[in-house]
This record gives sequence, C-alpha cells and structure tokens, in this order.
Amino acid sequence: MVKEKVIAILAEYKDCDAEDIDAAQSFEELKLDSLDTVEIVMNLEEAFDIELKITEDLKTVQDVIDAIEKLV
Amino acid sequence: MLRSKVCDLLKIEYPILQGGMAWIADAALASAVSEAGGLGIISAMGTDCERLRSEIRKVKTLTDKPFGVNLMLMSPGVEDMAKLVVEEGVPVVTTGAGNPSKYMEAWLAAGIKVVPVAASVAFARLMERIGASAVIAEGGEAGGHVGDTSTMALVPQVCDAVRIPVIAAGGIGDGRGLAACLMLGASGVQMGTRFLVAQECGIHENYKKKILKASDIATLVTGRRSGHPIRTLKSPLARRYAEMEFDRSVCDDQLSGLRAGGLKKAVLDGSESEGYFMAGQIAGMIREEQSARDIVRSVVSEAEELLKRCDAWLV
Repeated sequence: MVKEKVIAILAEYKDCDAEDIDAAQSFEELKLDSLDTVEIVMNLEEAFDIELKITEDLKTVQDVIDAIEKLV
Repeated sequence: MLRSKVCDLLKIEYPILQGGMAWIADAALASAVSEAGGLGIISAMGTDCERLRSEIRKVKTLTDKPFGVNLMLMSPGVEDMAKLVVEEGVPVVTTGAGNPSKYMEAWLAAGIKVVPVAASVAFARLMERIGASAVIAEGGEAGGHVGDTSTMALVPQVCDAVRIPVIAAGGIGDGRGLAACLMLGASGVQMGTRFLVAQECGIHENYKKKILKASDIATLVTGRRSGHPIRTLKSPLARRYAEMEFDRSVCDDQLSGLRAGGLKKAVLDGSESEGYFMAGQIAGMIREEQSARDIVRSVVSEAEELLKRCDAWLV
C-alpha cells in the first residue's frame, strides 16, 4: 500500500509512469537532486500525515518506503 | 531609520549579513563588517579546526559585536567544526550545501542562532521545522555554489512559506537591492561579492581588480553536469571548464580535477591561468574598493532614501 502510494507520488513529481520507477533505484539514479528529494519528502509527509527525518540514510525509494512504513 | 526583525534577532544594527565566502571571509573582514553594524561571518571552509578557532578568537578581540561562522556541510572536518562553534560560543552559525539537522540539537542547546542557506521553498520549510532562527533565501545570481531559482522568484515564495525571518541573497550589491528585497518580503540581505572589494578583505589584488572591471555578463555557471554548479568570473579556466563540460568524451573525474583548488589559487595567488574567481552577477555594478563601514553605511542610507520615497508611486 505504502509502496504504491510513494511510487505514485514520485511518478507525479517526475511526470513519468509509475512502471518506470523501481523501488530499488536511488534518487540520484532517478535524476533527482537534493532539492528535489527534500521537496518529495515534504510531499510524502503531507500525503501520509507523518514527519520524516531527512538523513543520509534515505538514498533509495525503498529506504523512504521503509521509513514511512515504520510510522504509519 | 532602517530596522527589521533580523536586527533584533541577531542583535545587529543593520539588516546586512556578509556572506561566509570560503577561503575569503576571515577574522579581519568579519570583524570589520560587525563593527560597521552588519553581521560579519567567518568561513570555516579552507581552514582547519585550529585555524578556525584562532580566527574566532581574533574576531572577539577585534569587536564586541555579534558575528557568525559559516559551515559548508559538504566540507571535510565539518563534524569537528560543528562542535568547535559550540565550545567557542559563536553567536550565529550559517550553513550551506546541505542539511544541518544532525547538528541542530547541540547548536540550539548552546543558544546558537542557526541561519541556513536555502535555495528552495521545501528546504526553507524543513529548516524552519528543525529550529532555524531565520533562512537565507539565495538565488542563482549569487557567486560560488548556487541554486537555479533567481532571487526575484525565490524570495517571495520562501517568505510565503515560512514564518521565520527571511534574508535575501544573490544579486544584491547596493541600497536598491536591499530596498527591493524588503519589498519582496525579506527582513534583510546577505552580500558576498560587494564585500570582496572591501579594504579589509584580504584576497589577492588581481581578484579585486577582476571584480572591479567585471561587466554585467562577466560570470558564468560551471558544474551543472556534476550537480555542483558554481558561479564564477569567466576566467580562462572557467571557460575551459565550460567547454569541456559539454564534451561527452571528457570524464567527470577530469572535470572535477580541473576545478579543484581553483578558488584557493584565485584568493591567494590571483593566478590568471589556474584561478577560479567566484563572484555573483552583481559584480558588474561594483566599481570601487571601500571600507566595510562605508559599504554598510552607503547600502543602508541608499535604501533608506528609497524607502522614504516609496509613496511616490501612489498617485
């Protein structure tokens, strides 16, 4: 559930299809820079009504999904 | 008299911060700006802990007024410097190139006012949330490491998004810039390039000469390919980098090697061929070397004159 929602939000941000995003990919591989990453994390926080700690550990889409799953 | 909430927050007379320019912003420049009523800032970049500590202590002998230290969060040794600013009782810390969240608890506990540089709305909101006292919204007109969005577009959007005071940076070099930024919703400005030619600024005279003769189109941004864009004067090295950046046969390591150490060579040696002379787009407007006091005073008095005449637009 969380995974689909995260990927959908990412796909909307990037204007691409959800199928084009693999959870194992890093933000860097998705061509998202640090400012993009901060904005996406803020969008995710709003969507899930949670507060995430933005740290260096959030490298891949899966890292973000795992962090959200701990909180919801 | 010009006053804003940034003055009360940082306990300074005028809402002007001096950019914490790497290799450049030392105790001599920072103390002169603080003495002039702005906020002088020492850069921790290009120093080690021992030298940073001695620069901080030197500022304290030269002025009783508040000052700041700028930490580039990507730079080596930053963890130790983050502790050092607490030990030395630095009143204000500005941060660049990253997210300072892991240091916030210690800094806030020490009563340090933390003022991060933000190049986007989301980042500014995040900084407010983790306890920043103010944010510096820096547009892409600035010198050195830059974001994409221009000051004109970034500042009002950041002002709408956060409640903490916003300090505008990038493209500001005189009282018109200060007054305009107040109109955009900012409570103060940070200037770097203008202070490069302060008499108290110890950069090589070639660097100063280049700023003084620069035109409005004298800068360019290199490093977009590597994800670390830097605005610099169009020196031979910068032009070569810009050319190579578009050449796919040039690998990334070759590129980063080309630029490495270039700022240091500009600051210390004024090297024509190997220097990387970082500067903002406003360099073209800067025409004379002045004392930090004269710079601060002239920017403030010009802004005051303009603000007094604001209602001239209403008929």
